[in-house]
Amino acid sequence: MGGELRYEIGQNAYIKLVLHALKHKTAAVNGVLLGRLSGGDAVEIADAVPSFHSHLGLLPSPRDRPSSEEYYGAQGMYIVGYFHANERFNDFELSNVARNIGDHVHRYFPQAALILVETGSFTKGEGQEPVMQLYTKDSSKSWKLVGSDGGSRFSTKEPSANVVLWDYISTQKWQDVVDFDDHLDDISKDWLNPELFK
Amino acid sequence: MVSKTEEAQVNRLENQVDNGGGGAWEYLCLVRKLKLRRSDKVLKHGLSILNDPSKRSSLGHEEWTLYEQVAIAAMDCQCLDVAKGCINVLQKKFPGSKRVGRLEAMLLEAKGSWAEAGKAYSSLLEDNALDQVIHKRRAAMEKAQGNLSGAIECLNKYLEIFMADHDAWRELAEIYVSLQMYKQAAFCYEELILSQPTNPLCHLAYADLSPKRSPLRACEAAGCHCSCSNMEPDGNKKDSAP
Repeated sequence: MGGELRYEIGQNAYIKLVLHALKHKTAAVNGVLLGRLSGGDAVEIADAVPSFHSHLGLLPSPRDRPSSEEYYGAQGMYIVGYFHANERFNDFELSNVARNIGDHVHRYFPQAALILVETGSFTKGEGQEPVMQLYTKDSSKSWKLVGSDGGSRFSTKEPSANVVLWDYISTQKWQDVVDFDDHLDDISKDWLNPELFK
Repeated sequence: MVSKTEEAQVNRLENQVDNGGGGAWEYLCLVRKLKLRRSDKVLKHGLSILNDPSKRSSLGHEEWTLYEQVAIAAMDCQCLDVAKGCINVLQKKFPGSKRVGRLEAMLLEAKGSWAEAGKAYSSLLEDNALDQVIHKRRAAMEKAQGNLSGAIECLNKYLEIFMADHDAWRELAEIYVSLQMYKQAAFCYEELILSQPTNPLCHLAYADLSPKRSPLRACEAAGCHCSCSNMEPDGNKKDSAP
């Protein structure tokens, strides 16, 4: 149940979810993480789908929302977690909303990753630590912070991810991120963000 | 709440100004009128007017309103030097003004000096106990410090006096939703629907809330969604079928 599993987040997923949080600086945002189990000892988070930036407490359960199964299923990916960014930049507490949705995902994927984005602690592309906290559910049935004991179980797949992220931030690339909320307002906007990294 | 047509108008103006097509003053006036939070754009385009003496003098007495708008946008973007500069200009023009005093207290808030900001707001309220902006800033300070129950208390006291303030009802509803206090949130949305029955967004939020309160309320949700579909996005009732 996520005991000694490593979690590796791909650059695209990493950048997409930070940009999503930065686009809506005055709101809480959330989304789904997609990927797969790899090699039996790691969870690979290959992509992220930004979902909502308003009324997070009123959302239906993840099962009732479009799960992008067809698109990602064809690539051998499935939902491996959930990401959340709090409304206040210096709030690093896991809210009940995040825990509830994380519990839903955990029911279908016991090694689920719950990521809390820490936009307040990001500075100029320095360091290789992901600018987010990872929680997993252990056998005690509560969400525990991974890596608080000094281990390196959570990392970005590409070591230069923070440098690339800083590039995107300085060019204000967050304006191009589309989430599912935007799609509901204007269905011509594609929440899969196919052009974001082109 | 902003209607679809108003939002489209603002976005069109914003694109125009961003691409150098002029219309910055119209854009800033519209943002102020609709009470939108687009602080980075307001700061950028507001400063471009204020830093140009000829554009500034063509505004006449509206210049001071613009200084106030840019000061608030600068605080929102954490450009505190710019905010301080604007407030200094206003202080010189209007010495002893309570409105400028309010901006100074907001600057303390932006710096994170909560206790001093709180004292400044309290002393301003002694002179005018019915200043709505200051009451709401106190609730905002509680929320910014993560004290949601304090924010709820402030907003409830505020709404006992100013019960027609839609923005406050909506803010209170959103705080209740974030704390999963759905019954209390529903009460707030009911107040909003009573005062703005043709606003589809209130109905939508209330509809989304109903199943959370109880699975049996799904019918209520369906009813709200239907009544919402009878409305145009800008709040007018749709023409019935011929």
